[in-house]
Amino acid sequence: MSSSPGIWLAAFLTLAIYSFLYKDNPIYRFAESLLIGISVGFLLVVTFDTTILPKALEPVGASLVGTLAAGARSIPGLIWVLIPVALGLLMFARFVKGLAWLSRIALALYIGFGAGASIPANMQSFILKQIEASIGPFLSVANVWEAINDVIIIVGLVSTLFYFYFSKAHSGNFGRMAKLGTYYLMIFFGATFGYTVMARISLLIGRLSFLLRDWLGLMT
Amino acid sequence: MRRSFPIIVCFVFGMAMLIQFFVPSKLSRVAYDEITNWAQIIYAFALIVGVFGLLKYHSEKVVRKSGGWFFNLVTIASLIIMAVLGFAYGRGDSSPFMWIFNYMQAPMQASVFSLLAFFVASAAFRGFTARNAEAVLLLLSAVFIMFGIASVGNAIPPFSDIANWILMKPSMTARRGIFIGIGLGTIATSLRVILGVERTYLGKG
Amino acid sequence: MNFWLGIRHLDRRIIFLLMALGVAVPLLLKIGLPVRVTRDVSSVYDYIENLKEADVVLISYDHDTGTLPEMVPMSTAILRHLFLKNLKLVGMALRAEGNAIGRQAFKRVGDEFGKADGTDYVFLGYRPELTATILGLGTSIERVFPKDDRGVPVAEIPLMQNIHNYGDIALVISVSDDDTPVYWINYGNARYQVKVAPAVTAVMATTFFPFLNSSQIVGMIAGLKGAAEYERLIKRQGMASRGMDAQSIAHLVVIGFILAGNLAYFATRKRGM
Repeated sequence: MSSSPGIWLAAFLTLAIYSFLYKDNPIYRFAESLLIGISVGFLLVVTFDTTILPKALEPVGASLVGTLAAGARSIPGLIWVLIPVALGLLMFARFVKGLAWLSRIALALYIGFGAGASIPANMQSFILKQIEASIGPFLSVANVWEAINDVIIIVGLVSTLFYFYFSKAHSGNFGRMAKLGTYYLMIFFGATFGYTVMARISLLIGRLSFLLRDWLGLMT
Repeated sequence: MRRSFPIIVCFVFGMAMLIQFFVPSKLSRVAYDEITNWAQIIYAFALIVGVFGLLKYHSEKVVRKSGGWFFNLVTIASLIIMAVLGFAYGRGDSSPFMWIFNYMQAPMQASVFSLLAFFVASAAFRGFTARNAEAVLLLLSAVFIMFGIASVGNAIPPFSDIANWILMKPSMTARRGIFIGIGLGTIATSLRVILGVERTYLGKG
Repeated sequence: MNFWLGIRHLDRRIIFLLMALGVAVPLLLKIGLPVRVTRDVSSVYDYIENLKEADVVLISYDHDTGTLPEMVPMSTAILRHLFLKNLKLVGMALRAEGNAIGRQAFKRVGDEFGKADGTDYVFLGYRPELTATILGLGTSIERVFPKDDRGVPVAEIPLMQNIHNYGDIALVISVSDDDTPVYWINYGNARYQVKVAPAVTAVMATTFFPFLNSSQIVGMIAGLKGAAEYERLIKRQGMASRGMDAQSIAHLVVIGFILAGNLAYFATRKRGM
């Protein structure tokens, strides 16, 4: 059995969380509230320390010192460095009634940036490359089994896209193709479920390993 | 002004990011570097705003003494203690901040996620019934993957080969169809956002 | 008939107990079930094996502490392989918790191989915004990370003297528990042609098969099974290999639950119960 206070605390908190399996109780809720507070406090410190300080505040500080030393001609540089910091600080305006609209400016910049960057990325990665990979194999088929697999892929792709086309009623031949797409999707969801079970069990293995090995010393 | 100015900002920066991809000039490169830098800084501030929002939410519950307010107080107290320890003593490997991370945050977080293993087992028992053709397909696919990939079946060629075939052919194909749909949808939505047609991100008012 | 009705209405706490036993007993018994290496994992291994000494690999810790049991064995096996090959490592994180996890992993495995921070590896730290960070690294790593996680200016770190952007990086490994590797593929690989290998939790595995098929990624390591396969390839057994016994038995338990649930459903449905 471990003699480390940290291990004992971790074991107690683990069992507190697991008490939820019996039923919801104050010990579980205490641990849950503790987790939320600690996690957010962690995020606050790491974000400030690793991003805001070196990328926002330190450049402003350095620019300010440079401006004081060099004079008026350094002011444009200082203003340039201050812009993103000012935009970031504007986001706090959402807490002030009447000024909340100012926070939209920084948000709009960020949304615009994300939207503009995503268009070519999605086009290339999600559409062109995927279509190329679906059609390309037909240009060099090695054997019958490969040809069958390539047909399975292309039929599946088309039928799945038919399923996601909701502007037309899923009836007649269109509906039959969409139904085939449903079957492909069910296979995908089943595979995902199988992997999800694997993932969740892995997490349980980790926790039980900690309790059995690190805490109780029953496992080598 | 309150809505039109942000929409103009969104248009300008959205078009800038889009155009610079196709026009690799020195000016577009400088603009690209600055915009990506600004986006990182703004996002970091947004996270801090989120932290303050959380504090505000929990504080209001404590002040009003709403049901379970003690737990809201625990959240606020643990947040403040963690932040004070982090800023006062740093994030070094042997600091109190990292001790709490290693012996409290990590075990609790891992435990919360591991609870899902139990609920997945319960869901598999109660909800995973072969009621129709689609459910049968889903069931068979799941069983083949569970047995053929991560169980004893992974060392038995027929089962592992079938499982790998399911993953690389029909399952992959469906996921590809979903990706193409996502790609088309994202491009359409992004264009709507840049052109100011889609304004839900502005909120009310 | 009461038996099947009883099965259908089984208290879920009994299911929970059986699940816990299904995992705990194999952990205590140490069975040693076989693990077969798949092509997805061996592709990543082979790619790294073919890198030259002093090639640079960027590892991004894009996961939280919730998935530590899956991700730690995976990242430990990968780090061991990279250090065995004497490759130069640059670490970073796109999640706050990943920052602490990654920094500790680099130190722990680096010490195992006698590697030095600053010359053999460097941990740059955390950046909260995925798109801007991944795009920014294509232009200048120093612009995105002016200092490393210890606060040392990147310009003063010996390892970083010849590493400026993706052009100097042979491979990006994203250790992730969500779809962050998709961003690496969309913005890193699509725009800058940097090679990407996701090391993901099993939940996300099916997401990346289309990218594997289209060769947008060099391979994929998924879940505890992927970690166990990698441990086999580098010939260093670890927690993943040990955990696969429990994984195998627990999966049989879940399959048993599915079977029992279906039998109970059809048996009671027939009698209209």
